[in-house]
Amino acid sequence: MKYLIILFTVFLASCSTPVPLTPKFPEAPETLLKGCPKQLETIEGDNVTIVDFTKTVVKNYGTYHECSAKNASWIEWYQIQKKLWDESN
Amino acid sequence: MFILHFLPDFVIHLILIAGILGTIAGFVLGFIPFIKMYQLPIQIISVLLLSFGLYIEGGLANEESWQLKVKEVEAKLAEKEAESQKENVKIVEKIVTKTEYIKGKTQEIIKYVDKEVVKDNEVIKYVEMCPAIPQVILQSVNDAAKLANEVTK
Repeated sequence: MKYLIILFTVFLASCSTPVPLTPKFPEAPETLLKGCPKQLETIEGDNVTIVDFTKTVVKNYGTYHECSAKNASWIEWYQIQKKLWDESN
Repeated sequence: MFILHFLPDFVIHLILIAGILGTIAGFVLGFIPFIKMYQLPIQIISVLLLSFGLYIEGGLANEESWQLKVKEVEAKLAEKEAESQKENVKIVEKIVTKTEYIKGKTQEIIKYVDKEVVKDNEVIKYVEMCPAIPQVILQSVNDAAKLANEVTK
């Protein structure tokens, strides 16, 4: 009887079963993970003409627009992933 | 319940059936001489088996319903993951197109400056009058360009 009680106690003891579900954090596209240049182009030299000046400004505007597009993509990525995440929970 | 991982389903059903049969034997078939001899132990063991069998059957049913739910959620997550990948591809395509356009347009404008702007009479006149941009202006523009570096310091 003693053993039976022990056996049943062991059998009846329930353990918490971990739910085997771990939602994966969505992977961001590699393209978005590349950062913007740390510094914009500077203008060096003693005899810098208005033409050289303009070219550097144009390059820097280009860099800005690239970064701006990337930033917009990050926002879009976040909004889409959040929507999908909310729908799956 | 951890026990469900060790015991096969048929053993659980057998325990319940044994419990039911034992209870019937112990409480109803007491008039049979062999059973009458061991009536009390049969009653105790079969009630215990019946209780355990019922408990474990409930656990099994609960486990099955949970497993079903887990599978449903897994399928839903897989579907969302696939959708997320699809959206990622769309975003990458969009950003690559935009970046290429911006890079191309920037180069186009620089080429235009090199080819056309330098030939413009007004520009030529301006460069003659003012061949070099004052250093103080360049310094200000460079300082503005280096702002990000200062922020990271």
